[in-house]
Amino acid sequence: MPHFTLQITQEGALLTAFIGVSQSRGAALQQAGQPVPNAVQVRALVDTGASITAVDPSVLQHQLSLAPTGSTTVNTPSTGSQPMVADQYDVSLIVPAAAVHQVPLYVNTLPVICAEILASQGFHALIGRDVLASASSHTMAV
Amino acid sequence: MKPEKNISLEKELETYKNKLPELKQHEGKFVLIKGEEVVDTFATYEDAIKEGYQKFGLEPFLVKQIQSIQQVHFISRFLKPCNLNAS
Repeated sequence: MPHFTLQITQEGALLTAFIGVSQSRGAALQQAGQPVPNAVQVRALVDTGASITAVDPSVLQHQLSLAPTGSTTVNTPSTGSQPMVADQYDVSLIVPAAAVHQVPLYVNTLPVICAEILASQGFHALIGRDVLASASSHTMAV
Repeated sequence: MKPEKNISLEKELETYKNKLPELKQHEGKFVLIKGEEVVDTFATYEDAIKEGYQKFGLEPFLVKQIQSIQQVHFISRFLKPCNLNAS
């Protein structure tokens, strides 16, 4: 099972991750003779308060040119008591290993929701418990 | 690159809503829908997405987990979910 060691900064458990098109979309793009966009390097916050991974639209819609392939409902402090519908996108996620003896985290097809206001908070993705369920995280306070 | 046009899944979501009574027997599985057609159900999200791209290429399609009662995800941070159907 992949694991990673983080230093918790004042901003939280931030790490570098790469978000790209899903493996199946990459194959479809190649089949259509279209270029496969490079995975986008992002600052991502590990957030145990998020049940699903969220990514900023600047990455999903503008840099990866993705269209939604799903829809789900989300409740956040900004939605109040009424859950809101959120578009879902299929992506790939890579969290590089921190050391050579560690295994990187790679998910070739992951459903994420699109959420604004992430970039203004200093990162472009929230890594939620859906991803953490597939990787044990070891945090180290400084 | 700009996002593809006509990417709203409004029709597919309507199909899901209409077909949910029949789909309930596959509770927990992932359904692939294109327009008014329910293509198939799959054990995993990845399998449904793979079939969607293989069958429809870069055209819009919907993959959704079949749930009698829609699960609500929770995120404790302030953010605004994007919804193309609402814009």
